[in-house]
This record gives sequence, C-alpha cells and structure tokens, in this order.
Amino acid sequence: MVETAEEPEDPMANKGIGPVSEVTLGAEIDEAMAAEGKSIFETMCAACHKIDEKFIGPSPKGILKRRSPEWVMNMILNPEQMIKEDPVAKALFIEFNMSPMANQNLTEDQARKVLEYFRTLE
Amino acid sequence: MRRRINYLMLIASLLLVLLFVFPLWRITLTAPQYPDGISMFIWINKITGDNEYTLQNINILNHYVGMQYIVPESIPELTYFPYIILFMTAAGVAVAFTNNKKLIGTWLVTMLILGILGIYDFYLWEYDYGHNLSDKAPIKVPGMAYQPPLLGTKMLLNFKADSYPHWGGAVLGLSIILSYVALIKSRFSHEKS
Amino acid sequence: MLTLTGLFVFSACKNGMKQNSGILNNQSAAQKVYVAPGEHDEYYAFFSGGFSGQVSVYGLPSGRLLKIIPVFSVDAEKGYGFNEETKPMLNTSFGFVPWDDAHHPELSQTNGIPDGRWLFINGNNTPRIAKLDLSTFETTEIIEIPNSGGNHSSPFTTENSEYVVAGTRFSVPFPQKDVAIGSYKDNFKGALSFIKLDEDGHMDIAFQVLVPGYDYDLAHSGKGKSHGWTFFTTYNSEQSHTLKEINASQNDKDFIAAVNWKKAEEYLAQGKAQDYPTEYLINRYDEHSHTSTSITRNSVKVLIPEECPGLIYYLPTPKSPHGVDVDPTGEYIVGNGKLSADLTVHSFDKMMTAIANEAFEETIDGIPVLKFEEVLAGTVSSGGLGPLHTEFDADGNAYTTFFISSEVVKWKVGSWEVLDRAPCYYSVGHLMIPGGDSKKPWGKYLVALNKITKDRYLPTGPEMNHSAQLYDISGDKMEMLLDFPTVGEPHYGQGIAADVIKNRSKKIYPLNDNTHPHNIKSEAEARVERDGDVVRIYMTSIRSHFAPDNIEGIKVGDKVYVHLTNLEQDWDTPHGLSIMGARNAELLVMPGQTETLYWEPQKPGVYPFYCTDFCSALHQEMQGYIRVSEATSDIKLSWSLGESI
Repeated sequence: MVETAEEPEDPMANKGIGPVSEVTLGAEIDEAMAAEGKSIFETMCAACHKIDEKFIGPSPKGILKRRSPEWVMNMILNPEQMIKEDPVAKALFIEFNMSPMANQNLTEDQARKVLEYFRTLE
Repeated sequence: MRRRINYLMLIASLLLVLLFVFPLWRITLTAPQYPDGISMFIWINKITGDNEYTLQNINILNHYVGMQYIVPESIPELTYFPYIILFMTAAGVAVAFTNNKKLIGTWLVTMLILGILGIYDFYLWEYDYGHNLSDKAPIKVPGMAYQPPLLGTKMLLNFKADSYPHWGGAVLGLSIILSYVALIKSRFSHEKS
Repeated sequence: MLTLTGLFVFSACKNGMKQNSGILNNQSAAQKVYVAPGEHDEYYAFFSGGFSGQVSVYGLPSGRLLKIIPVFSVDAEKGYGFNEETKPMLNTSFGFVPWDDAHHPELSQTNGIPDGRWLFINGNNTPRIAKLDLSTFETTEIIEIPNSGGNHSSPFTTENSEYVVAGTRFSVPFPQKDVAIGSYKDNFKGALSFIKLDEDGHMDIAFQVLVPGYDYDLAHSGKGKSHGWTFFTTYNSEQSHTLKEINASQNDKDFIAAVNWKKAEEYLAQGKAQDYPTEYLINRYDEHSHTSTSITRNSVKVLIPEECPGLIYYLPTPKSPHGVDVDPTGEYIVGNGKLSADLTVHSFDKMMTAIANEAFEETIDGIPVLKFEEVLAGTVSSGGLGPLHTEFDADGNAYTTFFISSEVVKWKVGSWEVLDRAPCYYSVGHLMIPGGDSKKPWGKYLVALNKITKDRYLPTGPEMNHSAQLYDISGDKMEMLLDFPTVGEPHYGQGIAADVIKNRSKKIYPLNDNTHPHNIKSEAEARVERDGDVVRIYMTSIRSHFAPDNIEGIKVGDKVYVHLTNLEQDWDTPHGLSIMGARNAELLVMPGQTETLYWEPQKPGVYPFYCTDFCSALHQEMQGYIRVSEATSDIKLSWSLGESI
C-alpha cells in the first residue's frame, strides 16, 4: 500500500496512502449517488474547498483528470498520513500555507459518493 | 572587711540581668499539622511565642479541650518576679563588694529557695492550665489532662509537648553555680589569710 | 543443534537486555521527577490558562499543581470577582468584563534575571495586562490597553522591568470610531504600548507608538547590549481584513519591528508626544485595605514615527513570523517564521550598522525598512515545519518548537547547526525553560506546552485538558521525563528557581495592618447596622464560630453587606462563608483579611450560613442562621453569639 510514495512522476498512477486500493468507476455517472455526494461535500468540505476557485484548499474541479480516484478517496479518508508521506499531498500542503486538510471522519461509502459528485465537476 | 571585690560574685549577680534578655523556659508543641511546631517562651516578666500571634493560636487549639486562655496579664508573678530579680541583682553586687562569706552564702541559699519556689509555682500554673477544664469543652477525653511536662517530653493528644530551659534558665543556673564557686573561693582565701 | 541453541540463547539475551535498558530508562526518568512526599520542587512554573483566564502554578520537576490564581476570569472557588473587594479588578471602559483570554505570563526582572517579585500576564480579548504579587500569589493590578484589539504581543518586560509592552494583534480604528470595515487600509492602525512601572510597582501607560495597520504578534525586549530596544513580530503586512488565513499569508516577508524605547523617552521629554483622547481603566488591589479601586484615564501619549526619526525600524523576516526571541547575550534576534521551515536570525550589531549606514529598502509611514541581507545573521534549517517559539539554555543552545511537525529542535546559537530533536505529543506551541527568555537561563528542564491532547491520557469526552511534556535538557540529548495535563490552554509559561520565591511567600495578613473600611478587629465589635434598606453585618470568624451567628430583623428587599473579618493569625486557616439562596459565590477569607458578600434576600424565612473551608475539628459546627422577614415587618434588628436573641 505504501509503495506509491516513491513514484511522483505520474500522478494518475499514484493511488495515495490509505484504506482504498481499488475503485471501479461506472461507465455513466450515478446521478443519485452524485447528488448524495454533493450534499455531503457541502456539509463536510465546503468550508475549505470552493468549486470555482482556490480557497483554503484546492478546487475539486476536474480533479479526476489530475488524480486517480483512489488518491482522492485516500486524501479524504486519511489526510494526516497523506500530507506526511504522499509526495503530491505534501507539496500541496506547503503550497497551501501549511493548512492541514482536516479529517472529517467520512465513511468509505460517503467518500465514494463525494467522488461520484466530483465526476460531475468538469 | 576585705578590700578585694569578689569578681565571681559580681559576675554571678550581674548575670541575672540577662533574664530580661532571654526567656527562662520554652515549651514547644508539635503535631502533624504544625510541622514547624508552635513555641511558647516563658520569661521572667512575660510570655511570648514564635511570633506575635502564637498565644492566640495556642488559645484557639486549647479551647477545643476546654483549657483556659493564657492571658499573661492575669499571671501576677510576671509582675513581681522582675522586682525580686532586680533586688537580688543589687544585693548580689553589694555582697560582691563586701566579699563576706556569710553574705555570699545567704545570697546563694536565697537564690536556691527562690529558684525552687519559682519552679514549683510554674508547676502549679501548668497543673491549673492542664486540669482546670471547662465543662462545656467540645472535646472531652475522660481521664485526660493537658498539663505540659515540667521538664522533658509528653504527648498531649495529637501534640508532642517539649518543655526545657531556655537561655535564661541556663543563665540562672550559671549564676547559682558561680556564686557557689565564689563562696568556696571566699572560704579558701579566708582560711589562707 | 548446538549452534541453534547458541543462537537462541544469544537472541534471548539480546531481547532481555533491550527490555532491561527500557525499564532502566523509565526508572531513571521516574527518579528524576520524583519529589518525595513532604519535599519541595526545585522550580516554580507559571502557566497561563489561555481561555480559562487564570494562571496555574506548578512545581517542577514533579508536575504537581500548586495553585490556580484567578486573574481575568471570575472564580467562584475564591470568590474572585464575586466579593465586593475584587469586583473592581474586572472593570474596564466597557464595564465589568468577567472573562478574558490569558496568554503570556512574564516574570519581572532585575538586571535581566527573573526576580520573583511579580508575574505579568496579558488578557487578549478586552486588552488588559495584569500584575500578580508573588509574595501573596494574588492579582493586584489590572490595566486596560486603549487603541488595541487582541492584546497578544504582551506583556514582555524590559531588563529591569522598566516597562512591560503590549502590541496589538488586531489593528483597529485609532482612535476607535464607527467606520466601514472595508476602509481598513485608510483607517486602521496598530499601537505598540509601553507600560511604565513606578517605584511602588504601579502600572500606567507611558506612551504608545502609532504603527501601520498590521497584526503585531509577539514581542521580546533586548538585553545586555540590546537593552533599550523591544522587538515585535508582525504579520498581515498585506493589511487584509477578511479570510486572513489566506489573505494574510501572501507576502514572502513580513517584519520584526525594533522600537528604541530609550529614544522614545527622549522624544517624550521633548514633548513630541501627542495626547490622544481615549478611555482606559487601572484597577488596583491594596493588600492592607483588601479592597480594589478603579482609576479612569482619559488620554494617552502617542508617538508618531514620521515625527520621531530613529524611534522604530522594520527588519524584513520571512513568512509571518510568530515568536521573536532574543538570545541571552542580546545579540541574536530569532524570528520564528511560522509558515516556513526555517528560522531567520537577525544580528543586533548588524542592525545597528545598517541603521548607521541607512541601509534601507524603503520607508513605510516613516518607518525605515532595513535591508534583509544587512541584518541577517543566519538561518537555521532544521527540516521541521512551522517554527513558533525559541528559548535558550545556559550553554549557548537554543530550542525551537515546531507546531506542524510537532517537535522541539535543539540548535547551536552562532553556528546554527541542529544538535537534537524530540517529538511532542501533540502540536507544541510555546516552550518554557526556567529563565529561558532571560539573560541567565537556569536551563536543566524544558516544558513543551502542547495544543492537542487526543490519546495521551484517559479520555474525558470531546474536551480534554492540554498536555505538557517535561524534558531533561542537561545532557546532549533531550530526554522526556514526564507528561502531564494542564488547565485550560497553557499558552505560555515562566519558570524560576523555587528559592527566589518561596522565602518571600506570606503566611498571613497581619490583622493589625488591616485597613479595610468595614473591618472589625475583635468579636466585641461584631454588630449589625441598618441605614435605610442597606444593612451591614460586621462579622468575625475564628475556629470554630462566626460572631454573630444568630441575626434577626433582616427584611426582603434589603441590600445586605456581610463584612467578614477572619481573626485567625495562623498559616493556612482561611474561613469561607456562604448564605443559602444568595445569588453570589462564597467568600474565602484569608487570616487577617476582610471580605464582603453582597446579598439581596428574596423570600421570608430563616436561612443557614456556614463556613465552606474545612477549618477545624468543629468545622461542621461553624454555622449560623439569619432570619428574613417581610418588608413590612417590624422585627427589630438584633444579633447574638452563644445565647438566644
């Protein structure tokens, strides 16, 4: 699970560090799931992440073009270890004035729904 | 009449002045709550404590077992003992100048009698304070008296009471010993001449 | 087979030894913090309570809690802010403010060495500075700081406690007025206040320096050769007024402001200061009358940098510097750039040369900005993240806390080389070494004051007391000895050798020196007096009774003042007083002291009162009754002790 820490070259191949090792995305966006994900995002994440601008943390817009789905979920579920050990997360932490990403204690299922919501943000 | 002054006798009598500088006796009470102890000093003319509040603090403790308050003003001895000591000092100085064996002997015997009376008086006061307890005392221990020892150490409930002479007591003893030596020397010099 | 057995024995030995050495380490740490029952600690430690508004006093190395001293917050335990005598201590120009956020304790100094006379501490929220007398461990003075908001860079003292300083964390309209928040850049200014101590130790504001509207975060005064200067860190040189976590973190460098207060004294003497109308209060508690009084001031002297050349300079310092710490020699000024990985160290000598050579980058509102390279002495690159504060030992080493990487890093002053690092649990803010911000650190111990506790102790629900860790710093390597919870948010601390304080500690207040206007000195004076609907009960306490203990003739609607004088003159014999139904706290009266409980009886009845501090074997008997009658009743005022009324 930790082996990816050494491969920053291809961010899409970096699955991050955490409980999620494999995510299968459906061919189509699951709208019901995305709607739930949006609601979770607005409650748990929106204090620091805005869709259209860089805020306390980066915007999630188009994130799935930059990061693997596993990385996104691991960042949500395991931010403490990610900002210490994952090279991409570490760099972002420095870029954002060392504001650590808060662990909002989402379940894996909730994180998956947020991920589905992110798929709708192009 | 001898011309020579009896210096030992002079010192013996003048030493008594020190009773106004040092306390005669010290009674120290120690208990777990009073790790440093509370000390009461008995002088020829007053009763004092470690600080100006000691008597009040002892009286507060004593009231639990119904002891009377220690009020130095109510102890007449503290008023007239100083005059006796001043008189004995003056008499002793006069005796030293006469250097008369009989007078020295008389002074010594008077001092011894006064000393014994003083200690007896001290004992009576201690007895009175220790036994004359109020009927309304909050804490009554049947058969218990709170008389501190005349000399030595005794447990009074949770307090350990130590009663020993202080510097003044030592000075008094030294004065008596010196006058005794003066008496003996005076005899020797008498026999020699 | 033989070889295998040999190997097995060898590895068993190795394991055994490893375990043993662990036990030995624990034992040696335990021995180092063990203070036998009845023995005293080697150091006093004073920790602020942060949002508790109090100061907690600990013994080191044991970590024993010795006392909590109420300062800015009312404290029902001691009646502070509840009894009539201490209510004025919490007066401000806004009225009675019963709480504040206490951050930085600072011991008074003589020749740069903590002298154990006073402890100063700042209140952040409604800007104030308190002074605690360390012979009684009581708050004896609180001064309000005008033209400030968030009194954070405070109350750091000069070498002989000539001044304590107070820099504003929020810039605010100067003087305060009703303006649009968006007009920040035009209307908002900062104030750096210098509070002078007179010969009696009374505080008053000597002058304020008007500075640009940045956030002034922390301060320390120079020592030795830099005596006469005080240094303040700034952030938000961007002058933003919203979402500061982003907007105040944009500039690569903010500043350390260096104020020449000896120059300020010259300008004051020349009459260069302007009088600004304002309002602030000084509250003083008198140890003899046992009462406090508030004094109102209506103007403050302000020095304006444009009119006072040489008064103040800016030293550029990277990434929102938080702590500014001056080493024991007075030469090095350490800027702890909290958003950076490195520490920036400025040189006082180089600063003086740069000033002489006018090596300025620019001038902001009359304040010359010195060239960064001209004042820089060195950079400490430790690999840690988020440096906040630095203190020093007696051997030329510095110790810096890193909040984000949660560790203390030891480095060499002058060579800037990193010598050791030790983890903190978790996210350390300030650190404290006894004397570690003075000219002569005692060294020996270091306390890390952590912001986050999580799993360190038994859980106590969502809120936990903050953790502190004690390290032995007498060797080359820091060794953690003890981990203990603290009260509130122990923001910062001060430590001092116990002997400096303990022999000055008072045991009683002499009754003879009591000048309280409503005192009585003996039971014979005990009485009750009525003047209209104001009733004054002059009461005494001594083991184990109050005099009087039966009172009649009080009526519903009366304004009752119970003036209780504790006649005790023995160490550690306070008496408390509480009255059933009184909308107030208890009194806790020290030997020889007088305190007053205010009570408005609500309903007719007979109400018990009693001593709240277990004083003696007959403590449970130390009680009495007060009869309250209808407002129209004609029951006469009467009182007694030991007999029926």
